[in-house]
Amino acid sequence: MTFFTVVVRGLTRRPVRTGLTLLGISIGIAAVVALVGISRGFNRSWAAGLKARGTDVVVSNMGSSLIPKPFSASVRDRIAHLPHVAATCAILVDVTSVESAEMIMVSAREWGGFAWKNLKLISGRMPHDPAEPAVVLGRTAADVLKKKVGDPIQIETRELTVVGIVDGNAWVENGSIILSLPLFQEFTGNQGKINIIDIRVTPSASAKDVELLCDQINRLVPEGRAVVASENINNSEAYRMVRAMSWSTSLLAVLVGILGVMNTMLMNVFERTQEICVLLALGWKRWRIVRMVLWQSALLGSVGGVVGVLIGVIGVRVLGATPAIRGLLEPELSAGLVAMSVALAIAVGVISGLYPAWRSSQLTPSRALRG
Amino acid sequence: MQHSSISPSTLDTETAAPSGYLFEAVGLEKKFEDGRVQALRGVTFSVVPGEFVAITGPSGCGKTTLLQMLGALDRPTAGTLLYRGNSIPDLRDPSIYRAHEIGFIFQAFHLLPTFTALENVQIPMFESDLSMAERRNRAITLLMSVGLKHRLNHFPAKLSGGERQRVAIARSLANNPCVLLADEPTGNLDSENARLILELIVRVHREQNMTLMLVTHDMSIAQRASRTIQMKDGRIVSDRESTIAGE
Repeated sequence: MTFFTVVVRGLTRRPVRTGLTLLGISIGIAAVVALVGISRGFNRSWAAGLKARGTDVVVSNMGSSLIPKPFSASVRDRIAHLPHVAATCAILVDVTSVESAEMIMVSAREWGGFAWKNLKLISGRMPHDPAEPAVVLGRTAADVLKKKVGDPIQIETRELTVVGIVDGNAWVENGSIILSLPLFQEFTGNQGKINIIDIRVTPSASAKDVELLCDQINRLVPEGRAVVASENINNSEAYRMVRAMSWSTSLLAVLVGILGVMNTMLMNVFERTQEICVLLALGWKRWRIVRMVLWQSALLGSVGGVVGVLIGVIGVRVLGATPAIRGLLEPELSAGLVAMSVALAIAVGVISGLYPAWRSSQLTPSRALRG
Repeated sequence: MQHSSISPSTLDTETAAPSGYLFEAVGLEKKFEDGRVQALRGVTFSVVPGEFVAITGPSGCGKTTLLQMLGALDRPTAGTLLYRGNSIPDLRDPSIYRAHEIGFIFQAFHLLPTFTALENVQIPMFESDLSMAERRNRAITLLMSVGLKHRLNHFPAKLSGGERQRVAIARSLANNPCVLLADEPTGNLDSENARLILELIVRVHREQNMTLMLVTHDMSIAQRASRTIQMKDGRIVSDRESTIAGE
């Protein structure tokens, strides 16, 4: 028998209570994994989409919405000639309900722009010209919409034809409906409007040059804001709000977990007062009693953390496969997030055990001879 | 068998004090509830190594309180209490003293319900330097010595009262202490089991030459002791050698 056996037996004497506490902490950690994973995944998916298109700088007005506000397409002309700008591509994106998909990204791109170049045809063809009433679907979008080449697709009031299925090399790209900018502007009544300008810089441009370019654009274009592509989504107030909400909800869940473990450990100490006093009478040091309680709460935390991560991962996968958000974002379930969640759970356990451990250390062994 | 002796950092000597006494109590007092209850009133006595002392008296006379003082489970309010010449209330780490010098036997056994007999006996050994295998082997030996070879892996709930107290006796011997402090060890047993348990305790005391301090209100048990201290209202009212001890 080892000291660890003593630790475990203290928890297994009340299996239902221990199980419920584990469930409580697991749900808290699952919430952390799911909410933070989705929030980070959204960021990563967006950044990966920009990277796949070969975009270095993005001009947009993210404001308080996840979809940038439209501005005049003429803005593009003001920045196209700036130093270190190799190419620009005007885009109008929207997230809308299309047929069976409750939310899907529609990405209308400047005809001939570089944002078309990363799309690899899996089947079918690209539209022949900007006026052709045709779209290509990212492969996930095709899957979500259950469309194949030649099928009609209704976007808002216009019926178009799916002419190709593409691989965009990024989750967001694969989850999008892609069509020509003029066509989309025309049937959505957004003539002359765009909401994103993707900029590709010259290969010789340094990070400092890119930074200066952004400053220059920001002076020239009050309608939008230029940021390095990887930071684009962080610029969105809505994203920041989502991230803050996911963290605050997670912390609330963790707080509930702390209170649950603390309650269990306190009950454990109260119920075992006689036992702890006997252990003291048998010569156990107070520090050993404190360690026993702390190990028990840390064990609850770590097991709860592992189970919580599993629940979170499964939950996020299930959520990610739902038609509502499938193709919109890829939840980030990195080793870092898993390790952080388990470490958080262990910390929750230890923190929760501090007060019960202190209470146990205050018991007097003389109680062992009473009763 | 060599009795353990506690660390020199806790006690100055490993043998009996120059006076020859194992325990010396002078003017021991204990008050509870802000002095409203006085459990011990000027208790003075001494014990030499290897003695079997029975402490008797009616309920509430201070027997158990005295045992708590001897076992460093509680501190006296006033007076002097020495173990091998060292003040017990002033021990830097009483847990070392309790773990290595003292073996406790309780009236209510106080076995841990979620541990088997074998595991219960190993519990005090966590404060020793024994390896896991040594702890297990020693526990088996001790349980065999109290006649529980066939009950090693039974939980307390599956043991009879007599068997539980045997496990408790084996546990009290786990760290090879010098002193056994027994608080009404037969109080929860039927007469036959009480007789067998008392025989066992006396046998251990004799074979291992341990000092035995046994609290009881049963005079027939006290008669087995070499000496009987009788208490009343927190005072020692008589302290005499037993005439029929050892029979």
